[in-house]
Amino acid sequence: MGNAIIVQNLSKQFRRYHPDRPWTLQEALLQGLRRMRPAEYFWALYEVSFSIAYGRMVGVIGPNGAGKSTLLRLIGGVGRPDKGTIKVHGQIGALLDLGTGFHAELTGRENVFVSGVIAGLTRREVAQRFDAIVAFAELEEFIDSPLRTYSTGMQMRLGFAIAAHVEPELLLIDEVLSVGDLSFQRKSFERIAEFKAKGCTIVVISHDTSCIRELCDEAIWLQAGRLRAHGSAAEVVDQYVTETEMERLSKQI
Amino acid sequence: MNDLGARLPGHRLIYIRDLLRELVGRDMKLRYKRSVLGIAWTLLNPLTQLLVFLFVFNLLLPLNIPHYSSFLFAGILVWNWFQGSLHQSTGAIVDNRELLRRPGFSAAILPIVTVTSHLIHFLLALPVLLLFLMLEGSQWTSALLALPGVMALQFILILSLAYLVATFHVTFRDTQYLLGVLLNLWFYLTPIFYDASTLPAAYQPLYRLNPMVHLIDAYRAILVRGVLPEHPISLLLLGLCATGLLACGYATFVRASAHFAEEL
Repeated sequence: MGNAIIVQNLSKQFRRYHPDRPWTLQEALLQGLRRMRPAEYFWALYEVSFSIAYGRMVGVIGPNGAGKSTLLRLIGGVGRPDKGTIKVHGQIGALLDLGTGFHAELTGRENVFVSGVIAGLTRREVAQRFDAIVAFAELEEFIDSPLRTYSTGMQMRLGFAIAAHVEPELLLIDEVLSVGDLSFQRKSFERIAEFKAKGCTIVVISHDTSCIRELCDEAIWLQAGRLRAHGSAAEVVDQYVTETEMERLSKQI
Repeated sequence: MNDLGARLPGHRLIYIRDLLRELVGRDMKLRYKRSVLGIAWTLLNPLTQLLVFLFVFNLLLPLNIPHYSSFLFAGILVWNWFQGSLHQSTGAIVDNRELLRRPGFSAAILPIVTVTSHLIHFLLALPVLLLFLMLEGSQWTSALLALPGVMALQFILILSLAYLVATFHVTFRDTQYLLGVLLNLWFYLTPIFYDASTLPAAYQPLYRLNPMVHLIDAYRAILVRGVLPEHPISLLLLGLCATGLLACGYATFVRASAHFAEEL
């Protein structure tokens, strides 16, 4: 069995600018082009290596600012690594930002087409899946109303429904499993389980460690941009939870 | 995985066409609000410009240019496509941050969307120009067949500048303002309400470095005078320069685009 994702010595540097960095040419010239250079660099990810086999579901855990979203974006091809390589096989689908390309003035139907095409489908493919998307989002009655008449929950449901019908070979999910009410959440989980059953490789970021332990085969623990652990979900989650708990206690003392 | 697994070789092209169509369609629907009146609305601006120039250069300071209304309107429409696209392309990247953060989304399509949207505005206003031509008794000749070529040339020129403008605006957010100043100057250096040939010969070589001079001349030859453009060599040269500029603009854009998602 081959690997769906191979990450080798991946490092990503972010630039941090001076708080007074000029954002207009006028300011830049008045200040004599000072402060245009980044004030400092920091490693959002440093020397991260791992590989993920086809069909595995992998959870990424770690505290805020550990580089989880950066890692997911780089796997998705957004931005370029400063060092190292990422090899990804297969069509990528992503649940990073739901409802990308949505516009309040367009109807639900028009938004499904725009967003579906942005998500990587052709118009024909969107048309074929259209009824299924609308049914999944439970928005049959409202699909020809402008999006601005939708509640936030309805918009999120539509966004998730589109993303869930792209049928990717590799799915990247960033903390969007808490969309909608309980029954819709359950439906979302079922949909993800279906993807998994079909052999889709899934990488999911979540702070919900019990959810990761339950759903995922493996877990990756990132801390300050470095890979702390990679192994079976139960083991890594336990380590992570224990250490976080220890830290919390030691701070109290 | 089922039908997505078996992708045809032409699939990528179909996908790009569909993406362009949906994004341009989104622009159009938002602008025209799905009504014929919406299209009439966007014609208000060029028609007002036309009336102002007609008032000044027909009544106050007569320029005595034959077929002046069509002459003027052709210039205004061609210029508005150029100016509108460049003006809007400053926002092509910064106004679409959520698209840039999508895996697999190619930012390079955004300036193409902007220039295409304005091409469609141009095409929608073209019947009005043809109406003026008819009223002023211009002849429709086979020279019209050269029109798509001139439009393609203008498209390439605008797109190459749009890539540069969009990239620059990510770093300097007052690009839109500076561009406005530059375009204002450029407007008067382009023969929109006057005839380029009235300029003294001594200034002509310098003046003709402005690519818009050649483009507008070519449009007028085809539409107003019903002949093929008189200087095909300069148009050919312009085509070569525009293609070279497009390569540079695209390369600059792609180089910078690796950091777009971080800088927004």
